[in-house]
Amino acid sequence: MSLRLQIILLVLLAIGMMVVINMVRKRVLELKYVLAWMFADIVLVLLVLFPGLIKAITRLLGIQSSMNMIFFLGFLLSLVIIFTLTVALSKVTSSVRRMSQTIALLEKELKEEIEITEEGC
Amino acid sequence: MKKLVIIPAFNESESIVHTVRNIQKCAPDYDLIVINDCSKDNTLQICRDNDIPVLDLPINLGIGGAVQTGYLYAMMNHYDIAVQMDGDGQHDALYLKDMEETLVRENADMVIGSRFIEKKGFQSSGVRRIGIGIFRFLTGTLFGKAVTDATSGMRMSNRRTIELFVKDYPRDYPEPETVCRLLRKHYKVVEVPVIMKERETGTSSISMRKSVYYMVKVTLAILIERLR
Repeated sequence: MSLRLQIILLVLLAIGMMVVINMVRKRVLELKYVLAWMFADIVLVLLVLFPGLIKAITRLLGIQSSMNMIFFLGFLLSLVIIFTLTVALSKVTSSVRRMSQTIALLEKELKEEIEITEEGC
Repeated sequence: MKKLVIIPAFNESESIVHTVRNIQKCAPDYDLIVINDCSKDNTLQICRDNDIPVLDLPINLGIGGAVQTGYLYAMMNHYDIAVQMDGDGQHDALYLKDMEETLVRENADMVIGSRFIEKKGFQSSGVRRIGIGIFRFLTGTLFGKAVTDATSGMRMSNRRTIELFVKDYPRDYPEPETVCRLLRKHYKVVEVPVIMKERETGTSSISMRKSVYYMVKVTLAILIERLR
């Protein structure tokens, strides 16, 4: 990796990190869900700073070329993040369902109560 | 002056009645509300059987969401003071009087019950004390006021702070972050010494395994709070 590429990548990663932090700051994103992205950013910074790491991991995993390893890891990371989103979405779905049910029950209770008071008068 | 005790409860069936009776005995001038955050045990039934006022959340919101529900209730019902206390019997209602006097006398926006001013009673485990020490350092350097017990769940707020909490409150591990928010906005935060007991029953929401995650997340949250 040339020094020029290293610098470009580091700048891009720094911008990425700043964008994420700024969005948390403005309460657009919740910190809980961006921790994974911040972690990924830091890992990438380490890989850019120490390109030797990539070769070491490639050898460790028994992959032929470093390029393939990078694609593989990138793919894996995307899958993990997508999966996390699926889990989060499932949770939201079941919360919305329970909330609607509760509102429906409350509405019925409330209507019955109003009817009872009206009859009382 | 209308005063409210907010008690978030998640699986506190064994200690909730005792906690509530302690408050009713030591601080009879306070109303109280239990927020049942989808307990898996019979906390809700026990509250209803014992005529304890309870808000039953239909979905689990986590400690932050539960406490915020209490503040929302306080705001809607025009309370002047709201104090949150844990449902596990750690906090003693005996100190409410002192906290209230401090709130009024110092014209403070929040009074925190701190374990580490007089260093008496249950002092939390070693690892946690280190974490609390880090928060003391962070609040001191970043916000100009070293808070000795930023993680304390026994906190009394005035109307202004209640309204701020209703607007925005972190979902999980909210205590240190919200203290920093108050300090950033130049709200007056005062600590008074309290003695806490070791929790009577139940388990802490923060296990050893989660401690590292807790420290990373809360520290980041505090740093971002400084950037706001």
